[in-house]
Amino acid sequence: MDLGSILQIVFTGLIMGSIYALVAVGLNLIYGTMRLLNIAHGEIIMIGAYVAYWLFTAYGVSPFFSLILSSFVTIVIGLIICKIIFLPMIRSGKSEESIQSNALLLFFAISIILTNVVILIWTADIRGYSYLTGVVQILKVPVMLNRLNAFLVALVICVIAYFFLQKTMLGKAIRALIQERTAAKLVGINSDRLYLVSFMMAFGIAGLTGALLSMIYELSPFMGFPYTITAFVVIILGGLGNVLGSLIAGFIFGFVETVGISVTSPGLQSIISYGVFIGVILYRPKGIFGKGL
Amino acid sequence: MMKKFLLLVIGVFLIIFCLNGGALAKDNIRIGFSMALTGPFAPAAKGQMDAYLLWEELVNKNGGILVKEFGRRLPVKLVYYDDKSEAETAVKVYEKLITDDKVDLLFAPNSTTIHFAVFPIAEKYKAPIVGNTAASVKLRDLKSKYFWFVTATMADRQMRALVDLLISLKVKTVAVVNIQDIFPRENLEFLIPYLKGGGFEIVLQKDYPRGIRDMVTVLSEAKGKNPDAFIALSTPPDTFLTAAQIQEVGFNPKFFFQLIGAAAVAFGPRLGAATEGISTFGHWSPKAPWPGAKAFLDNYVAKFKVIPDYLNSTLAYVSCQIIEQAVERAGTLNWEKLSEVIAKEEFPTINGPIRFTGSENLQTPAMVLQWQKGEIEIIWPSEVATAKPLYPKPPWPKK
Repeated sequence: MDLGSILQIVFTGLIMGSIYALVAVGLNLIYGTMRLLNIAHGEIIMIGAYVAYWLFTAYGVSPFFSLILSSFVTIVIGLIICKIIFLPMIRSGKSEESIQSNALLLFFAISIILTNVVILIWTADIRGYSYLTGVVQILKVPVMLNRLNAFLVALVICVIAYFFLQKTMLGKAIRALIQERTAAKLVGINSDRLYLVSFMMAFGIAGLTGALLSMIYELSPFMGFPYTITAFVVIILGGLGNVLGSLIAGFIFGFVETVGISVTSPGLQSIISYGVFIGVILYRPKGIFGKGL
Repeated sequence: MMKKFLLLVIGVFLIIFCLNGGALAKDNIRIGFSMALTGPFAPAAKGQMDAYLLWEELVNKNGGILVKEFGRRLPVKLVYYDDKSEAETAVKVYEKLITDDKVDLLFAPNSTTIHFAVFPIAEKYKAPIVGNTAASVKLRDLKSKYFWFVTATMADRQMRALVDLLISLKVKTVAVVNIQDIFPRENLEFLIPYLKGGGFEIVLQKDYPRGIRDMVTVLSEAKGKNPDAFIALSTPPDTFLTAAQIQEVGFNPKFFFQLIGAAAVAFGPRLGAATEGISTFGHWSPKAPWPGAKAFLDNYVAKFKVIPDYLNSTLAYVSCQIIEQAVERAGTLNWEKLSEVIAKEEFPTINGPIRFTGSENLQTPAMVLQWQKGEIEIIWPSEVATAKPLYPKPPWPKK
């Protein structure tokens, strides 16, 4: 294999990895803080993608600007859903198991509703727009601008998320809540407010991810579910509730997938990706990074 | 006693009158079908559904279908339910349409899988269904008496047409990739032996899984082999992905064929000028000399503001036209009589005249289409071509 091909694989791995990291981080934030599995995560990404698509095709709004607008829309959705459904549920004082299983059903319902709302508004047609389709050469490897852009934006967001969680007071409080909920409450952390913050953050990142993906892939109301699955795999690899772990696991997953199929065959993609996944579950049931980081 | 008897007679009379009146008062033809309004098939089903809606509107604008049995034109009314892209739901829907809704006629559902699933219902109730969005050589094995298929894209005939075109273009080397999905695989089964039989050198043959998110590695490898022709037996998500990333890796084959999705509505807007020279399958063009072909395009664009799917919308509309003509010719809504007419007669459609041989439409040849100057042209076979093949395909536009 020549150097050009190796670089190409490395770039592709980085691009896919950054997207997977971004997709997973939102899911893990909600799971980490609230212990709720948001299986409507992919649908929130889908909403973000549609907002960007619609703004671009109808009003010529630059998809870059839509990164903000899409996440604004999904933050509002997150705010509403959290305030009227999940906060009252958590406050109701029911057992954790019953809240978790109810939340799973509720998120499932939300995903169905969102998909069908999008079908009503935009129909089930496949849609897409052409943006930043120029090709640049990096170290003599051609890369399409929209993918390069997705990589850079995803990287920036991941870095911001990292520093937010590590350095800011709010981020530290969220991490405290993830690690030990009862103790966090005891030392005066306002858990309700943090639930809301992490919910909105997760939804905002999902919306932004959607806008980013809409520049590369085509859209359909059913595009979300595969991302939910990928996000699950990544957060289990990185450790449930371990936000930083899932960022790293996203890159690992992207690399495994890309390198795996280029040294073997694309037909083996699922076997390789899920083989690694099963291996990790068998030998490190708490994920590569467990609850640490 | 007499009074009671009289009351009884009047009552019976009334009941008979009502029942009869109900029959006399038949004021429309209700046509039932199940449609993938949601679920994975929904994007592909949209063009089919819209063709049904357009047909309904146009027929009713004309006053409906003339049914001799009732001595007048009857407007049509579509009765449909969402099958969520699930075969078992579709089967239930057709059972309900026939036994509960008691519809007069049936239209076809979406996708090969669901056509297969619904087939036993058509047999059980002897209900004539003109299938449209289904293509599989296995449909022939059904030996159906009440189910016909208007498509000419059966894998063996479709791949024969493609390879014949490659022979006429004097292509030497071919790279083939396919997604692990039923229809592309079926096409692959015929394509490879045909290519070998045609003396082509197959420089690469690879498959890739559904849901693939990156084609760069596959395409780079194909580029490294430098084939004359690149054949991607793809389905919509990866068709779009391949078309975008083939430009990224700068792979410029002289002939580039994609299977499903390259004639989809979103393909043109998504690719822009890069569509030039991309080939795909199908067997319709508004430019072909078939009566109503151009009008279909115009009416469709006027109603839905997008061009029809050259395959799904056309096939769906053609199947409506056949049912409509069969009713007018048979002069009745009786299923047995309709079946006889559909099985035997020839029907002019927007896709040319169609007569079934068994359950298959052998009259329409399999064709190869190609994007040229933003429109899709028929380039093969030459008897029905609307344009000459653009070969070699121009390099990808510079951006």
